[in-house]
Amino acid sequence: MITIKQLYKTYDTGVVRVEALKNVDLEVPEGQFLAIMGPSGSGKSTLMNILGCLDKPSTGDYILDGVDVKSQDEKQLSKVRNQKIGFVFQTFNLLPRLDCVRNVALPMLYAGISSTYSKEHSLAALDKVGLLDHARHRPNELSGGQRQRVAIARALVNDPRIILADEPTGNLDTRSGIEVMALFEELHQQGRTIVLVTHEPEIANHAQKIIHFRDGRLVKSEQVANPVRAAQQLAELDEAGEVAE
Amino acid sequence: MNWGEMIKVALEGIWVNKLRSALTILGIIIGVMAVIIVITIGQGGRDEIMGELESMGSNLFAVYISQVEDGDYERYQMDEEDCRIIKESVEGVKAIVPVAYTSASAQTKRKKESCSLTATDGEYAQIRNVQIAQGRFFNTSDNASTRRVVVINQKLADDLFGVGSDVLDQKIMLAGNPVMVIGVCKSATGIFSGGDRPEAYIPISLYYTMYESNGAYELDGTAVSKDRVDEVAQQVMRIMQLRHGDKDKKVYQFFNMEQEMQSANKVTGILTLIIGAIAGISLLVGGIGVMNIMLVSVTERTREIGIRIAIGACRQDIMRQFLIESTVLSLLGGLIGIILGMISAALICAAIKIPFSISLPTVLIASLFSIAVGIFFGLYPANRAAKLDPIDALRYE
Ligand SMILES: Nc1ncnc2c1ncn2[C@@H]1O[C@H](COP(=O)(O)OP(=O)(O)OP(=O)(O)O)[C@@H](O)[C@H]1O
Ligand SMILES: [Mg+2]
Repeated sequence: MITIKQLYKTYDTGVVRVEALKNVDLEVPEGQFLAIMGPSGSGKSTLMNILGCLDKPSTGDYILDGVDVKSQDEKQLSKVRNQKIGFVFQTFNLLPRLDCVRNVALPMLYAGISSTYSKEHSLAALDKVGLLDHARHRPNELSGGQRQRVAIARALVNDPRIILADEPTGNLDTRSGIEVMALFEELHQQGRTIVLVTHEPEIANHAQKIIHFRDGRLVKSEQVANPVRAAQQLAELDEAGEVAE
Repeated sequence: MNWGEMIKVALEGIWVNKLRSALTILGIIIGVMAVIIVITIGQGGRDEIMGELESMGSNLFAVYISQVEDGDYERYQMDEEDCRIIKESVEGVKAIVPVAYTSASAQTKRKKESCSLTATDGEYAQIRNVQIAQGRFFNTSDNASTRRVVVINQKLADDLFGVGSDVLDQKIMLAGNPVMVIGVCKSATGIFSGGDRPEAYIPISLYYTMYESNGAYELDGTAVSKDRVDEVAQQVMRIMQLRHGDKDKKVYQFFNMEQEMQSANKVTGILTLIIGAIAGISLLVGGIGVMNIMLVSVTERTREIGIRIAIGACRQDIMRQFLIESTVLSLLGGLIGIILGMISAALICAAIKIPFSISLPTVLIASLFSIAVGIFFGLYPANRAAKLDPIDALRYE
């Protein structure tokens, strides 16, 4: 359960002051699939970084599962990032020197789990995203969609309750994007909370709820009556492909 | 993250930039090598000096006439009678003989050579550890009866008679006096002998008649143990002062081997330390190289650091990763430096003919020192990595 109250985030570079978030109130119940939309520069990533405990609010409260994040020290926050939250980025952010298994295993190693067990478990996670046969490949030997699936496997490996995804399909073609969304749907069905930033309405429509940001303010919030299903979208895509041929 | 995994990550980091790592390590290698070579050779030189002093006998002492202001040399010269009295009155003396040095010409029908001449009594051979190769050294009764005998060293024997000739019982003319060779001793070797020079030894009573003298400038003796050598030498000197009326106590001085060894030990130790410290500066330069490359590495891997923090690494993990990397780098350099340093030191020791020994403390200290260099010079870069803001780091191109 995520609760945000009167949250402000101001960047002060000395030259300019940017109010990236202004008076944001938000509640994300356990197990919700939430999409965040808004124009570029409206503060979506800023919010995601705060939710992911990578950044701190200037004022206001962020309460995660009943604990005020302000009161946590660096060590406790790193544990939150490691155990409670799985982060998926637009640019994948895999370590280029490590092969897929070792990339996926990293959060487990930082959790202090033995390397043998981490590796076993990571292979299972890669299997879940359909990339078991690419386990020994390095990220630069994979397509964008495959890389994002490896990143999702990494986000999942410590079994976090919350998945934060900042434009996870932003660098992918339509089909790969839908395949990635299929994974998020599955994670949602398993009961996880998912917060996803996107510019594309078709992607946002997978969620149960969509909120809109403009100039750092939360301006609109809407329930999605009938969330789109990835399976259905893929079928439509295949049909369209056949027609085109 | 456990240590095994961390070390693996560090080794991979080093391996990825092979050339860069090798050059960085080279700085440490040269530093450690220099230190190892200096210390090992210093130790070898010291062992050599000590060994040589020891072979001269650490119980050895000498009392000699240092300066005579009234010009009355004869009065202060010492002889067998002095030695007899010393033996009776000083309990710690094992042996003591008068010794006179001069140079003389030695001549056979075949050849003429000049040599240094030592005139003394029979116990000299034992006091000065003279090594006899053929025949014998003259003894006390040879001296008492003023026998015309001589002991020459191998060098003089070879020079006068030719290498391999039979020289025992041969006659030679020494400073114009006929004497018979009764023994050949080994030529002295080592750093204090000043090279292989021709030498001859005669009974001191013969020297008195040959040179119209009645005493020697020096007494050589040994104490019963090296702990007492200093005390014994002083007592002997005091007796000489009394017997020869040295009221101002200026004429005689003494020397003892134990003291000599201690000061030699100190001097070589200080020398080794100074040169070692200078060599240590190159290790410092190597350490700065490590720091430099670690700073580059942190900058290059800014994004990697951001990713690691985002997936749950704490600052301590990041700090450790870079510290281990710098420590492994410099330890690697240290170990290679130790091996190369030992090999070079062994070669140099063999070339200049001093004993070579691997001292475990040196190896241990060099290893620990290179670990310390790695930690010290890795601290700042690692701290810089750990303090990175994850958002900035993730955005770093
Ligand atoms: N580190 C920073 N320093 C200064 N200003 C910043 C910083 N990070 C973000 N901003 C500013 O905050 C505002 C919000 O940025 P943010 O990245 O949250 O936008 P966004 O909604 O994610 O945009 P996009 O859709 O392009 O990713 C922008 O005006 C941006 O310039
Ligand atoms: Mg953004």
